[in-house]
Amino acid sequence: MKYAFFVGCTTLGRLPGYEKATRKLCERLGVELIDMLGSSCCGTTYMESLDEVTALSLAARNICIAEEMGLNILTICNGCTETLTKANATLKQDQKQLDEVNKILKEIGREFRGTIEVKHLIRALKEDYGLDKLEKAVTNPYKNLRVATHYGCHLLRPSDVMRFDDPNTPTSMDNIIEATGAISVPYPEKMECCGGPIMGIREDVTWSIGLDKINTVKKHAETLITSCPFCYLTYERAQLMKENKPDLPIIHLPQLLGISLGLSGEDVGLSHNKIDSEFLKTKQGA
Amino acid sequence: MTEIIVNSESRVFRDSLLKNHGAERLMLCYQCGSCTNDCPVARRIQEFRPRNIARLAMYGQKERLFSKDLLWLCAGCYTCYERCPQQVHVSEIISALRQAAFLEGKIHVTIKNIVSSLPLHGYIMEIGEFENELRQDDGLPPAPEPSLSEISTIMTRTGILARVGGG
Repeated sequence: MKYAFFVGCTTLGRLPGYEKATRKLCERLGVELIDMLGSSCCGTTYMESLDEVTALSLAARNICIAEEMGLNILTICNGCTETLTKANATLKQDQKQLDEVNKILKEIGREFRGTIEVKHLIRALKEDYGLDKLEKAVTNPYKNLRVATHYGCHLLRPSDVMRFDDPNTPTSMDNIIEATGAISVPYPEKMECCGGPIMGIREDVTWSIGLDKINTVKKHAETLITSCPFCYLTYERAQLMKENKPDLPIIHLPQLLGISLGLSGEDVGLSHNKIDSEFLKTKQGA
Repeated sequence: MTEIIVNSESRVFRDSLLKNHGAERLMLCYQCGSCTNDCPVARRIQEFRPRNIARLAMYGQKERLFSKDLLWLCAGCYTCYERCPQQVHVSEIISALRQAAFLEGKIHVTIKNIVSSLPLHGYIMEIGEFENELRQDDGLPPAPEPSLSEISTIMTRTGILARVGGG
């Protein structure tokens, strides 16, 4: 298995631990990640609500780079996943939009051909790697570790575009987590947005949305597992900004997986997590 | 509640919205409120009511829709999109309304800054020497160097750069 690795702005610039854990996890699983030279921001999830052609063209430029590499894209940000998936689907289906975008791309010497797929890490693990194989790769299973999963929005929604898992009662991330021996607990409002996208518009609302989930999760689990850098930062910052004693560790999915595959805390960049997450290393069974 | 006044201007605005990709089904909204019910922002901001946004859009009430930060409060979570029994998709209506607002030069400053960053840095923020040094400490390769000229060409060509005041 080999992918063009689209890291995404927030992870590249703010979350080295997330990127490191993803790279080490894939290395351990024998999944090859190739960097996408010349790639940029996906276009942001905001762009389509400003100008659709710009959104499609910026996303398509990144997709073209992967097409030239002859590889499917692997993403680790829900926002990038949605932006790139939507552009990929639209341009594969809509000849009029494709013509317009390709006219623009021609000016930079590129062409969208519609030859690849975009997959978030969760989707790649489920559809390409396989849960059975993943379960067999777990060498240090967790014991009595209760975690809450946060899917975030754009991994699954809008569902007619993303076409992955179930937007209301998803199981993909929970199943991956249970392959590590951890227990994925059910909890109220599991599918609610983190509130991150309006952090720069109404910060107070973002913290309110974030802390409501934090407080709910604390009643059910020891940690909240995220699959998106924005969600991660929102839940981390909400606690750091608003709580005297931030104490719900937020852990990136590949960090959780990595430790169960025998990687060290340093391998998965655990020390980068601002809310102490070192406890994860002590949760293995005998 | 402010009176809704329907005139030729409001009809023209409404009709132009309906032509927007994703907003075609606006008039099928029967105001059930499923969108508002599950909206994480509506639960916390009294003025933000997706159902009311759909209603105001049906009546072409541009001025009220464009007032204050109303349109920019949507988190884009698509919960309403999944809930709508009529597939009106208020999130898409809001997207169409933002496009219309932006055509009149109205855009939230935070989003404007993000857009303006793209031709300068290729990313939503600068990822330069400082960030790359930190990356190196973790054994990570330097961030891909985006082709800024390609991004500028795209954004100039679509006109968005001039509209955010960056080109």
